Amino acid sequence: MDERKDFGENDGVIHYELQEFKLFEPLFKWARKKSLWIVAFCTGCGGIEMPPLATARYDFERFGIMPNPAPRMADLFLITGYVTPKTLKRIIITYEMMQDPKYLLAHGSCPINGGVYWDSYNVVKQLDKYIPIDVAIAGCMPRPEAVMDGIMEIMRKIETGEADGWKRYRENYEYYRRNQDKLFGEGWREKEAKRWLAWI
Amino acid sequence: MFDWRLILDAIGILIYALIVGFIFMGIERKAMARIQRRIGPPIYQPIIDTLKLLGKKESVSHGFVYNFGPVFALGVSITALLFIPIANFQLFSSNADLIVVAYLLEVPMLGIMLGAMSSGNPYSALGVQRGLLTMVAMQLPYGLAIIALVQHWGTFKLSQLVALQQLQGWSITVPALALAFIVFDIVFQALLGLEPFDIITAPAEISMGPMVEYGGKHAALLFTQHAVQLFAETAFFAVLFFGGASNLLDLFLKQLLVLFIAIFVASIYPRFTIDQAAKFFWKWPTIIGIIAVLLTV
Repeated sequence: MDERKDFGENDGVIHYELQEFKLFEPLFKWARKKSLWIVAFCTGCGGIEMPPLATARYDFERFGIMPNPAPRMADLFLITGYVTPKTLKRIIITYEMMQDPKYLLAHGSCPINGGVYWDSYNVVKQLDKYIPIDVAIAGCMPRPEAVMDGIMEIMRKIETGEADGWKRYRENYEYYRRNQDKLFGEGWREKEAKRWLAWI
Repeated sequence: MFDWRLILDAIGILIYALIVGFIFMGIERKAMARIQRRIGPPIYQPIIDTLKLLGKKESVSHGFVYNFGPVFALGVSITALLFIPIANFQLFSSNADLIVVAYLLEVPMLGIMLGAMSSGNPYSALGVQRGLLTMVAMQLPYGLAIIALVQHWGTFKLSQLVALQQLQGWSITVPALALAFIVFDIVFQALLGLEPFDIITAPAEISMGPMVEYGGKHAALLFTQHAVQLFAETAFFAVLFFGGASNLLDLFLKQLLVLFIAIFVASIYPRFTIDQAAKFFWKWPTIIGIIAVLLTV
């Protein structure tokens, strides 16, 4: 935690508020709270908790929450279950593709401390070291009620301005970048991009 | 000479169309939810979504054409809207405004595709290819339905079409034009991008197709465009087959009727693949359309 602060003070030039729209900021805050679009990206076993949430019984569309396949439009990223290094690469790339007020909800105990995979060689134990988490739900697996509760917590945090994971990611980018590089090796982004887009 | 009243009317119609278009999008989502026995979002949900997209703190851009695409689409939608007689108000009018509107309603799709292609995303390219194929497939029945209509009423002018229908009964009461109505309704489903023909933005296959790279303010512009487009398309349908309208309430009810037909069809049918859609369009709607044209000769 101490390391993060050092990096934050280095650059004081990041502006979060658009000056011309400052007057409408309360309105935008309300809109952000009421319309959270989820990236349709499921890791691990928690993806199976999404269909009950979306269908008739728990129906999260009541609150304006909608699964959206395009990461550019989405606001909320659910990490549903354990994260392997291979998935983590995709998660980081998707998280960086999302546009700025973006929120991340870790789902279940695996992203918090590894859960039942605590001694596995191939599971990322603490997701918070690689990307910032806004709300974490404990449990294995959390039931849809718990997930809904977590989403409500995110809504409350958006209203009070506490859901600032995207700010923390910008301020402490070097910290997160260093941890990512330690896990994957230097230059992993370029290597990964070359695998799919050979002409770059 | 500046006609202030006309300008105020045009701006008023635009604002009205925008609000009603957003409400229609909300009704679409709500009705789908009710059919699936869910509660569904509030009716004003699309307005909240658009506000949220406008409030995004960054919008990735891929260059001038990428920015130009949504603006072009919105402009064309607004132009189409101003050609349609909405409750005795029509800003632009020409001798062949039926054809102008019929094609202006398809051009916005091209604008979105222009922007999408410049983003370089493979999903966008796939979506654009699918969209162009759908457009090619639906031209034939679309044209046939309009030919039948024009042959029966003997005019290309939308205002004259409304006047004739109010004198001699709606188009849909004429047997030959009832067939044209069926054809137009099938094409309408593809125009709105709704379910049997939502091959362009197939969310489960190619993740929103052309819209995959759009986010933030670009996506907000596309939402606005969709609202205006929805209003214009439903109004065009009401004018062609349900006798237009002399006041806004009348028009609203007719648009709602058209919209609900589309929603009910959309909520029970699964998606066609692109070859199935093309085969379908060139078979049944074309046959019915040719019969309608022959009956009106």
